[in-house]
Amino acid sequence: MNSVRKTFGSKVAVQGIDLAIPEGSIYGFIGPNGAGKTTTIRMIMSILFPDSGELSVLGKKSAVESKDRIGYLPEERGVYKKMKVAAFLVYMGRLKGMDSAGLKPKVMDWLERIELGEVAKKKCEELSKGMQQKVQFIASVLHEPDLIILDEPFSGLDPVNMRLLRDLINEQHTAGKTVIFSTHVMQQAESICDHIIMIHEGKKVLDDTLGDIRNRFDPRAIHVDTINHDDQSTLISAVPGIANVRIHEGIHVVKLDESMDKQQAMQNILNAVPVSRIEIKRPTLEDVFIEIVTGGSSGGDHEDVRAKLLAGSKETQEVAS
Amino acid sequence: MNFSKIFRVAGREFASTAMTKGFIIGALVVPAVMAALIPLIAILSAAAQPSADKGTVYILDHSTEVYAEIETRLSPEEIRARWEARAQRAANFAKGMMGQAGGDQVENAMGFIKTPEFRIIPTAPDADIEEIKTEIRDQLASGTELDDPMQKILAVIEIDIDAANKANDSEGYGSYQAFFRPKLNEETVGEIESGVRWSIRERRYENAGLDRDQISELSKINERDSKEITEEGERNESSELATFLIPVAALVLLIIATMTGGQYLLTTTIEEKSNRVVEVLLSACSPMELMTGKIVGQMGVGLSLLIVYNSVGIAALIAFNRLDMISGQTIILFFVFFLLAYFMLASMMAAIGAAVNDMREAQSLMTPVMLMMMIPYFFFMPVVRAPNSMLSTVTSFIPPISPFIMIMRISSTDPPPPLQIAAVILVNLVGVVVSLWFAAKVFRVGLLMYGKPPNLRTLIKWIKMA
Repeated sequence: MNSVRKTFGSKVAVQGIDLAIPEGSIYGFIGPNGAGKTTTIRMIMSILFPDSGELSVLGKKSAVESKDRIGYLPEERGVYKKMKVAAFLVYMGRLKGMDSAGLKPKVMDWLERIELGEVAKKKCEELSKGMQQKVQFIASVLHEPDLIILDEPFSGLDPVNMRLLRDLINEQHTAGKTVIFSTHVMQQAESICDHIIMIHEGKKVLDDTLGDIRNRFDPRAIHVDTINHDDQSTLISAVPGIANVRIHEGIHVVKLDESMDKQQAMQNILNAVPVSRIEIKRPTLEDVFIEIVTGGSSGGDHEDVRAKLLAGSKETQEVAS
Repeated sequence: MNFSKIFRVAGREFASTAMTKGFIIGALVVPAVMAALIPLIAILSAAAQPSADKGTVYILDHSTEVYAEIETRLSPEEIRARWEARAQRAANFAKGMMGQAGGDQVENAMGFIKTPEFRIIPTAPDADIEEIKTEIRDQLASGTELDDPMQKILAVIEIDIDAANKANDSEGYGSYQAFFRPKLNEETVGEIESGVRWSIRERRYENAGLDRDQISELSKINERDSKEITEEGERNESSELATFLIPVAALVLLIIATMTGGQYLLTTTIEEKSNRVVEVLLSACSPMELMTGKIVGQMGVGLSLLIVYNSVGIAALIAFNRLDMISGQTIILFFVFFLLAYFMLASMMAAIGAAVNDMREAQSLMTPVMLMMMIPYFFFMPVVRAPNSMLSTVTSFIPPISPFIMIMRISSTDPPPPLQIAAVILVNLVGVVVSLWFAAKVFRVGLLMYGKPPNLRTLIKWIKMA
């Protein structure tokens, strides 16, 4: 993707995104609701066309010429209510250019794998939302595509099915397929992807491997939980090399001075207060995101973004539970 | 454009519409059963005629000479004879129109008709007519069935003293006044009135010294079938019924077939959009392939309707021995104009379906389309009466109503010249291309737009956008 831009009326959905996704990798698109993830994916799929900029998919000018080599699970996904599950999958397979020979057994095979073998003859409308979603996942991988694009694949799934789907995605990745998936729940991206693209307000704000991100956004902070869970911030802040201490959800978040060694600081804190748990804080994508969005500034801005983000992920979790 | 994908979409579209019980029953079985039932309905409705009126007719004859004539004229035997003669004439006419089978059917049906039965009773010349009226009122008021149905008073006729004989030469003849019980059958009233008039006239001829037979002979001119002179020779002037029957059947059939396909296209498009299955489909084929496939699939639905209905129609014509009323060329052109009309309507339906979120929102956009489909009905009379008038010719060149007007003209007895047909087809082809182009743009943008239904201005914006 080369400075790809897309507007809807006066609203700029995607502004100048550059992007290169190597073959065989597994990429996560993250960002809050309305960030431009789906629009970007739709442009990759040639369902929408960019106003300006260029993009190529699987070596072709657009996905139009290579649709049969792409598997796509859209965010706005549905099934033909009156169609039987197996018939729907056969239809999708045929539409993706598969031969009818051997297609039916393949569909049955897949249905068995996602533990839906017995619903093949049921109408799609009789399936639960989660079941439909798994059926739709099959529709996107049935034709053995080289590139799999999954837009919010986990939304609406219970934890068991989430794990099943995650395993299936990993399996595709292991088989050498390129996988792109989007989510606004950062933890999901963390658990699957090796490379993260973060999109915010139509702009790419991050494009790195998970490891690099963790190094780059090392918060240089230590989590401390005291034995009695009481507030020991005054004592802790007296320890040398500590910049500040705040309490978040009952845990002390201890921010270190630039030059301070983490091991040494931990040692010092252990000496100063009774500790039940102490660990070096690992940056979560959530933190990274907030840092990027707020430009590192602290205060109300920070919490606003966090609240916005949490609202997004809570919503998903509620659906999942 | 990948034709195998278009073919797949079309296949699913056709199967999901036409291979359902609802469609087969609604579109095919019901008309077939109806066709089979028509003769039965004719017989039943004839048999279910309201029982013929029976009862008394009082004649207050001041002239004293008309009464006897009425009594003969309205005697059961005479009435029966007249009705049978009339049935025979109708059967002969039906035979001419629809062949032996039609004639037989009419004859059968007429056999079921019951004739009214009268008892004609004279009153004293000085009787008070009001008394008889009161008697009718009493009968009505009591409401009970009479022991002898013949006692029921149906009418009282008062005949003027000078009805059949002029009092003096300076004045004209007198007349008669009839009073009827309410809610009598039309036939009963007609029979009594015409009987009275016939009788008065009979007496007048007699008094004037004229011979009735001679008069009817003098006034009768035998009818012969008029001929139309054509370039090749001459032919029987087509009957009024035939001139109207074929064009109206063709028009209705064309509208049914295009609307059925179009309506289904609208519903399936809305369904795909509201089901959110559309983006899944778009991952496998382009919007243009999807739209083309859907239009072609529903074309199959319209065509199968046409083929079935046409076969039934042709079978009917063969049964009635009137296959000469349509030509093979007409049938071929019928299918050509169906395709032209269908593609224009279907592209509108596809665009509307893609633009809205549900059926309710589609209604407001559908209104102009439905109004457009009504226009051919308004033009039916002027076009069929004068298939080659200025009006007919001009409207033939206005898509999208053009195919409907043309099909009426082509199936009329006076089809337009071949060159004009070719020109109209060309104009419609342009219309088809333009409407498909327009629809493709709206379809592409609209499919993934949810929320507020678009108005005309947004639609235009979309066209510019795509």
